[in-house]
Parts: sequence; structure tokens; C-alpha cells
Amino acid sequence: MIQNKNFSYTELPFKIIWSVFFLSFIGLGILYSISQNYEGPILSNPFTKQLIFLIPAMIFSFLFIHVPRYTIHKYSYAFYFIGIFIVILPFFSISHAGTYRWINLGLPFSVQPSEFAKIFTTIALARYLSDNTLHMNKFTSVIIPIALALIPTIIVLNQPDLGTSIVMMTPILPMLYWAGARPFYLFLMLAPIFSMLTAFNTLVFSIWALCLGFIIVMARPVLLISLILFFGNIFLGLLSPLVWNSLTTYQQNRILTFINPEKDPLGAAYQIIQSKTAIGSGGLLGKGWGQGTQTHLKFLPVQESDFILSVLGEEMGFVLILTVLLTVGFMISQILKSSFESKDRFSSLALIGIATIFLAHVFVNTAMTVGLIPVKGLPFPFISAGGSFLFTSYIMIGLVLKLSINYTD
Amino acid sequence: MLKADNSVSFKQYLFVVVVTWSLMFILILRYFQLQILGYDQYSKKANTNRIRKVTLSAPRGLILDRNRQILVDNLPTYILNTIPGELKNKEKTFHSIYRTIGIDTLLVQKNYKKYYRGKFIPARLAKDLSFIQISKLEENKIDLKGLYYQQFPERYFPSKARSSHILGYVKEVDREIRNSLKKRDDYELGDIIGWSGLEKSYENYLKGKRGVQFYQVDAYGREAGLIQDLDPILPEPGQNILTTIDISIQKVIEKLMIGKKGVVLVGVPKTGEILGAVSAPDFKPDLFTGRISANDWEAVINDPERPLVNRYNTGLYPPGSIMKMITELALLENYEFDPHKTYNCNGSYQFGDRVFGCWKIEGHGDVDLTNAISQSCDIYFYKTINYYDLDILSELFSSFGFGNPVGIDIEGELKGLIPTVDYMNDRYGKSGWSKGALLNFCIGQGEILVTPMQVFNYTNILATKGNSFRPHFVKLNTLIGNKSLDIDPKHWKRIISDMEQVVMNSNGTGKSANPNIKNIKVFGKTGTAENPHGNDHAWFIGWMEKHDKKYSVVVLHENGGSGGSIAAPVAKNIFIELNRLMVSRNQI
Repeated sequence: MIQNKNFSYTELPFKIIWSVFFLSFIGLGILYSISQNYEGPILSNPFTKQLIFLIPAMIFSFLFIHVPRYTIHKYSYAFYFIGIFIVILPFFSISHAGTYRWINLGLPFSVQPSEFAKIFTTIALARYLSDNTLHMNKFTSVIIPIALALIPTIIVLNQPDLGTSIVMMTPILPMLYWAGARPFYLFLMLAPIFSMLTAFNTLVFSIWALCLGFIIVMARPVLLISLILFFGNIFLGLLSPLVWNSLTTYQQNRILTFINPEKDPLGAAYQIIQSKTAIGSGGLLGKGWGQGTQTHLKFLPVQESDFILSVLGEEMGFVLILTVLLTVGFMISQILKSSFESKDRFSSLALIGIATIFLAHVFVNTAMTVGLIPVKGLPFPFISAGGSFLFTSYIMIGLVLKLSINYTD
Repeated sequence: MLKADNSVSFKQYLFVVVVTWSLMFILILRYFQLQILGYDQYSKKANTNRIRKVTLSAPRGLILDRNRQILVDNLPTYILNTIPGELKNKEKTFHSIYRTIGIDTLLVQKNYKKYYRGKFIPARLAKDLSFIQISKLEENKIDLKGLYYQQFPERYFPSKARSSHILGYVKEVDREIRNSLKKRDDYELGDIIGWSGLEKSYENYLKGKRGVQFYQVDAYGREAGLIQDLDPILPEPGQNILTTIDISIQKVIEKLMIGKKGVVLVGVPKTGEILGAVSAPDFKPDLFTGRISANDWEAVINDPERPLVNRYNTGLYPPGSIMKMITELALLENYEFDPHKTYNCNGSYQFGDRVFGCWKIEGHGDVDLTNAISQSCDIYFYKTINYYDLDILSELFSSFGFGNPVGIDIEGELKGLIPTVDYMNDRYGKSGWSKGALLNFCIGQGEILVTPMQVFNYTNILATKGNSFRPHFVKLNTLIGNKSLDIDPKHWKRIISDMEQVVMNSNGTGKSANPNIKNIKVFGKTGTAENPHGNDHAWFIGWMEKHDKKYSVVVLHENGGSGGSIAAPVAKNIFIELNRLMVSRNQI
């Protein structure tokens, strides 16, 4: 192992470290509240479990500071393939309620490999996009990174895990943007999604088709390509009802329930309604630590992971929610700042990728608890219970710390 | 490759930071909206979520007989509920219920479907479970997760007297019933409401006031303790009602009417109290409690004799000769009429081109007014028809309470029909009927229809010389009088002595009503009412007098035949029983 020479701990971005500690502390506090009336062995209650994972995760994170940047860069593709391999593993394991997200390693807990795969994918993307010889004005330079991200995404989508697969795809947009891709290409990436979504309403679809045509004309590609892009999108839009039918009922239901929450008051919408009730009834200062009636009377579903913010909202009120959201926003901004200030392109790209993963988790989880988006089953970084994601988060923080130090190794 | 420099521009950086904070801002705004702006709404919702109002049902008042013996009691039964969301395996649990307490799986399945209102709302699986059955379920609680039970007082009839039409029945309030109620806020689904008989008439007294207890429940609807800051409202039990019924008499008259169709009413003329009332055929009073088998239920519902019909309130009958005391009064009130004058009865009477017969085909020979009553001669009344007219007669009928409900405290009473000139003109046209109709009316036939309750009231009026009170089933503090009658005491005396002749005279048609007991005088009148639907109805009305006490009796045996030979002996048995009770208890 190559040791770096001029390294000093004082160079570490402490603003990020304190933010993470603060969030972890809040998470433990809330989990302790939830665990109060937990029946079962002490080691399996959410609070103890989280505490047990937290310590090795922190140590692991700390170790990353000492891994040379060079090593990370060098083995990034190898890690990527390991990542692909481990997300396939759960398919050979026993299914949990029809899903293949977990592998059992004979440990007292299961591991969710897709969480780790997010990091590997991001690193591989950073490696590819930081290549000196890459010309970002070429469309092919966009296609390969998309493929890199798409492979694990599709595997995870089949586990099936819609939430994680969305999170895997998100870093690609800001990373391409960071690498200097033409905004037009990024638009072309998003265009098919819009084409599919708008296809369900004729008027909206017509407006979208007009916008699409206008933007393509403004970007002035070759006529043939323009035509392919335009009609390709229209065709895709017309195809989307077929795509819709190929979704599992479970996925369809989640989307439908989101559109009309009254439809199934005891299914996914029940969770959203209970979550909103818990949050809303918390008010400014909350009902007090351990005093949340919706939480402790179990009206609130999956409260230790997906809906932990609802517990926080109910018991500690808007004040603490605001504090947590500002802290996490601050932490992400700090990562972005490191990314911007980073001297080499690889670090910069990896950092923005990680920032995006955190942001995606925060946004999807938080928006879900307040009914802004469908129930997605994504945890909130550092606060939600869950060993695999806690480890992943701390590994990412380890990477952030490492890559933030401007250097020399 | 690591040498590739970071080429991110400040513009790019700024853009990403702005996007990040915009997203964070949206989230913060949404939390603000829910927690600050929506606080009131959501905290209310959180409370309704967790607070369950548990109704404490008030025990319904008891129904007692005049000697405070219990006619209707409350039996503590149990209802078996399930919280569907807590059932692990529905079929298996239902089968376990069958194995443990023997309740048919199909029935449980049916109830489950009927009462299912949501995953976390209790649904009823079975009712009328005994304490023993509940104990058995408790023992096997591990197999039967998701089952709960609740106490539920059911009506119970401990006395041997059925009294079904008097007591009536209760129903469980369902959505339809609740919507039809005026005071619908007083009832919850599953409450019990009096639906007929005294249960209905005295609903406001019997029902009591339900209480409420506030429980905290968890998301599965499981109770998680009482809520400290909300005091329970205790239920107020319903008031007991004291009826005028005497179980002993009721039992006897029910026995007398077994296998017969008709009505028996027994009462105290002075007060209008009803000691016993039977409408035969009747039904077991617990028919409506659900403790009865489906077969028995079908049998009652499909019985062509319609046991559910309350004949004394809603049965309309031609009265026949029992009305002759009113005709007698019509004659007596005409000062030109001589009651001592005899008229010859040869069995028939020619009016225009029609021949009217006497019930005694061979004729009564020479009869005066007393004989005409005691032997119930029809020809006598035909021959004296010129002493009054239809309006006078119908007026008198009405003054004895006919043609209007008597105001008994059980619903559904019909008013019957007393024809007047106007009525006949309306119905048949001015020239469509003749004076011959009066020949029918004077002997209680023709269009006249009465209810047995009106006849009972009429009997009481006769027995008290017009000083009786409205018939009633429940003891009243203030009795309600009948319409006052302005009748010469001389006439009363004569009518009553004539009625005595009906029973006490060896030629009287009602002589088989005479119990032949020392110190007991019986007054009465028989009736053999022709009717278009079959055999004659046998009537006997009258009262017994012992020392100063009087007890009135009305017997109607539908299609029984002759009043004297069919109805009068029934009355005799009642008089014997009344006497027995007077002797043994010194009072009734």
C-alpha cells in the first residue's frame, strides 16, 4: 500500500464530519424512542442494531481516508464488476416477500448489495468521464456512461427495487453536466421519460411534442438525426401504454395510488395518510420525545426506516425537521463545494456523484413522507435504520473526506 | 489519467447548488405546510385515529307483570367479533371456531361478509354466544388470533306465559332502520330498538341512555388502555315497566286458545286494566332474538293463520248479537217503546221481497225485550225497528267506542267501521241501499266491523254503567276516561239485568258461561256473527261480579260457530280461574 506523504487530519472537511455526526445522533435518538415499546430480543431492536452497525461503519469510513486516490482510480472498473456481480447474487438467494434484494451471509442480518453497487457505479462513471481523451460534444461519450449506469440499474429494477434503481441513475445527469456534456444531450436523455409520461394525456402530449420539436430545431443537428429524435420520442410516447402494462401490479398500484390516494386507503396511500397525520400533528415543537401517539400506537408504518422522518416530525416538530433538512442540505452543499474546488476531474466527478446520491435519498425519502411522490422505500441517510445503507453512507463519507483533501498522493 | 484537471466552471457549480437548495426548499416548505399550517387539521385527525369511543350499552328496562313478576328480562349473551387485519388465516380460524364451539363455518363466513367494513374495524362473526362458549374460545386463544368478543344483553322471557303480542319484539338497528328514525342520533348501529308491542310503545322508557368510554387504540384497533383525560359517561339503565298483565291469567287464557283462532281479553272494567290478552295463534316471544331455529321461523312466517298478526288490535270482525245491548238502549230511549210488549217470533221476518231469519229456525214464540236479549232473538229486533233510525243507532254505536280506536298502548289499532247514512250513500248511492240495511245493523251484522279491543272496551263500559277507563297494558298513574255517556240509570239497570239473564237464566244463550260458584254473578251476551269468509264467529262478552269486584272477559273464537256453545264455555273457565286467584291471593 502506498502511503501518502503530506497528509494532515486538520485538512479534513470538518463541516461535513460534524453534519454527519449530528444526523447520526438524531437518528439514534429517534430510533431509541421507537424502540421503547419494542418487543423482542434487545439485540434486534432498531436502536441497538443501528448502534452495532454505526461503530464499524465509522471505522470503515475512517480507513478510507488512508486509501490513496490513485488506488481508488485504478481499481474503479474492477469494483464496478464486483458491484454487478453482487447485485446478481440475491437472485440465487431465497426471496423475501417476492423480492430478491437481500443476501444472507450466515450473519444475524441480511445484506442489501444494491446499496454498495451505487458507490461502485458512481466511481466507475467518474473514472470514465475523467478520461482526458473524452470529447464531451460527441453523443457517443454520453451513451457509454449511460450504459454503465443502466446495467446495474436494470438488474436492481428486476429485484424489484424501483427506488434504488432510480437512485442509481440519478448521478449520471449532474456528472455528465460536470464533465461538460452539452445540455442538449442531457435534454435528449430526459426526453424519452417525458414522452412516456405525457403520453397519457393527449393535450399535454401535444404541448410536449411542440416543445420537443422547437428544442431540436434550435439545437440544429443534422436533419436526419432531428427527424429520428423527434419521431423516436413520439413513437416511444405512443408505446408507453404497452410499457405500463408490462409493469407489475405492485408497481402500477404504487403509481396509481399516488395519483389518487383515496383509491386504496389501506394500502400504500394508507401509509402516506398516516405519515402526513403524524407529521402534521407534530406541529412546531412536536409531541415530545417518545410521546408520538401515531408512532407508538403503530399507525405509522415502517417507522424505523422509510418513515423515520415522520416520527421525527411528530415527536420533535417542525423545528427539528427544519434543523435536519438544513443540516443535510448544508452537508450536500459542502460536498458540492469540495467537488468544485477539487483539483482533479476524477475526484470532482466522484464527489458530485456522491452528493447526488445523498440528495436523491434525501429528496425521495422526505418527499415520500409528506406525500409529494409515491411511496418508494428509500431510507434517509444517517437517520433511517438499516445496516447496508448506513455502511454505504459512511463509505461514501469516507470517500468524500478522502477526495476532499487537496492532497498530494 | 488522474492528471486530468477539474474544469468545472463556477456557473456549473452555482447551478447545481441552486438546484440542490431548491429541492431542499420544496421539502421544507411542504413540512411547513403540514406542521404549521395544517397542525389543527392533522392533530384532530391523529386523535380520531387513536381514540375509540366504546359504547357502553344501557341495559334495557324489564317488563313486569302486575305482581312484579318478570315477563321480559335481559340475558347476557356475547357477540364474537374479528378484526379482519389480524386474522392470519381466515378459513383456518373459522374452522377452529367450528371445532371449538360448534358454530357453522358457513354462517360465520356469511356474517363476516355482511359485517365487514374495513381491515381494522371489528366485524361480527356470531352472536348469542354463551359464557361457556366464550370460555372455550379463551382457552384456545392461541389458535384464534384476531377474535374478540363483546357483551350484549339480549331479551329473554323467563315466564311461562308467551304474551307475544303484548310484549312485541325488539330489532337490531341497522343502517336502514336508523335512517328511518326521527331520533336517529339516539341510536347507533347494532343498538336495540323496540319494534312492536310494548317494546315499541314504551321504547323511550325502556331503552335507557347509553354511556361512552374512551379507549386509546393502536393501528390494529387493539385497545391500548383508557384515556386519562376523558371521563367515561356511564350508561343509564332503562326504566322497568309495570304492566297490568297477570301472568297466571295470561297463562290460562293462552292455554284455552291453543289450537284455536281468535282472541281472549280479560280485564278490570273499573280501571280499564288488561289482565290478559291472547291473539291466537301466537308465537314464541323469542322468535326475534335469533335463538330460534330457521325452521321454526319459517313455520311462523309461512303459517296461513298468520300468527304474527295481532288480532285484538288489527283484526276486524262482524260483532253480531253482542251489539244488541246498544239496540236495546236505542229502543229504551224512545219513550213510545214498551219493553214489556211481546212480539211473536216464528223464525222468519218478511221485509219487502226479502226474508230475514232468526238464528233459531223454529222461532222463539212470544218474546219481550228481556227474552229478546237473553235468548238473542233477532225477529224481536226486526219487528221493533221503527222505534229508531240508522243515525240514532250509529250514534249510539259510536258513543260506546266503536268506529274509533280505543287508544290502547300497543300500536297498530284499527278503527273498524260503523255505517252511517252518509257512509251508505257514499258507498251504494242514495238509492242503492234500503232501510233493510238497518235490519242487519240492529243485530250487529251488515257492514259493521269491530276490533276485539273495542268490544272489550264496550264490555267494560257496560259493566261500569259508563264509568270505565280506556283499556291499557301498562299501569298508569292517571287513568284516561272514555267518552262520557248520558244514559238514564233506569236503562242501565235494565240492560244489566237482561245481561244477567243471558248467563244466569236456564234459557239464556250464555248459560254455559256460568261457573255456578256461590257469590259469583255473571253478566254477558253471546254472539254468533255471520261472516262472508267461512263459519260463524263465536263471541262471548261479559263480566263476573264477586263482592264489589268485577272482571270482564271477551272471547272471540274465529269461525268457531255458536257463541253460546263455543265461546261461553271458554269464558266460564276464565271466571273459574279468576275466582281461584281471588280466593288464593285475596286480590288480583
